[in-house]
Amino acid sequence: MSGWLEVWLVLCAAGVLATLGAALWRVWRGPARADRMMAAQLVGTGGVAVLMLLAPAQGWAVLDVALVLAMLAALAAVGFVKSSTPDGAGDPEEDDPELAMTDPDTRSGSDAG
Amino acid sequence: MTDPLILFDLLLAGSIVALAVAVLSVRDLFTAIVVFIVFGLLSALAWARLAAPDVALAEAAIGTGVTGALLLKTLHHLRHFSDGQTQDAARDLTAVQPVPMGVTVANAAFCGLVALGLAVAFLGAPQAGPGFDALVSDAMPHSGVAHPVTAVLLNFRAYDTLMEVVVLLAAVIAVWQIERGLTEAPAPALGMVWAGFARLTLPAIVVIGTYLLWKGAEAPGGAFQGGAVLAAVGLLLLLSRLYVPQPSHRGLARWAFVLGTGVFAGVALLVTGGGRVAFQYPPEHAKTLILLIEGLVTISIAVTLAALFHGREPVALNAPESRHDT
Repeated sequence: MSGWLEVWLVLCAAGVLATLGAALWRVWRGPARADRMMAAQLVGTGGVAVLMLLAPAQGWAVLDVALVLAMLAALAAVGFVKSSTPDGAGDPEEDDPELAMTDPDTRSGSDAG
Repeated sequence: MTDPLILFDLLLAGSIVALAVAVLSVRDLFTAIVVFIVFGLLSALAWARLAAPDVALAEAAIGTGVTGALLLKTLHHLRHFSDGQTQDAARDLTAVQPVPMGVTVANAAFCGLVALGLAVAFLGAPQAGPGFDALVSDAMPHSGVAHPVTAVLLNFRAYDTLMEVVVLLAAVIAVWQIERGLTEAPAPALGMVWAGFARLTLPAIVVIGTYLLWKGAEAPGGAFQGGAVLAAVGLLLLLSRLYVPQPSHRGLARWAFVLGTGVFAGVALLVTGGGRVAFQYPPEHAKTLILLIEGLVTISIAVTLAALFHGREPVALNAPESRHDT
């Protein structure tokens, strides 16, 4: 660590990380599956920010990790939309019960174990 | 002057442990998958923080991208198991049977022993020892590359890396043995969002994957990271049905599966002789050989991961009892 700027950037990274706690809460509580998935996407975006803020203190190779995260974090959302439609068409505007904002616990759920 | 980083580390470590508890304790499978994706994201941050950007790259590409899509597809597969028995079959498959108390106790005892062994090993290890840094940096001039991690993976410890590639090959062989058949559902027309997303991201991912492979010789990156990123291209092509596997593509796919393993093993054996053992590349050709191996292994990894995501050998099946579904 050298210089107040790096200290400040690391503090900012810690702050962004702390705000991701709210996203973790949303992943945990839901209630809808889309809520959980969008919260995971928010963690992905926040993770990119954290990595970029850490780069001066941690080495610039961290920027490549941020690049990969930015490109591939969306893949889970793509898989989610595709797997949420029975025919796999993945049209978000298709009227589909599994994408509807319902509580998964009250659905005739197949996943409640 | 490490105070702000300690704050960051405590937050990160606490979140990761909480997520690990959550992913194991949550009952809803979909929630477990999302929590696991987030766990992978934060693990990538932890690896970056531990000054291991190579591992962070692999974790970011595989842990968050490929694994998440793979798990979601598996869940979809379980839900829409087949036309007649959808919900019942899925419920049977995902039902959690109560575990006998004895099994729990035995598991706890075993985990305790492992933890104890790890603790003993950690406490018994020389604290802040030199590790293998000196050995590696001494041998770097003979490795043919400038990045120590690549030198270890593809030169000093190449046999181990070859076995890692073989694991992927074995996995895809096993999957093709078990699952066969075509995607029966006719491909629906792609929506505007889809077409736009694929058009924007696919070229960028190809460039980034190739970039990671290329810079692996002198900086964090390399075959596994590049291969995992390029596998995402395959996943997107399959998901968007821009590419639909056909039975006639199997030959090419098989060649792609064995290309990395075959060339890696072939180079290792061909450099023997003249006083050298297997994997002992002649220093003047080391860089060329390593780049050749890395490039072909990258292709194999990308194609294999994409094939694992597709999850079945594309064979035209006529048997009516086929249980394959979309």
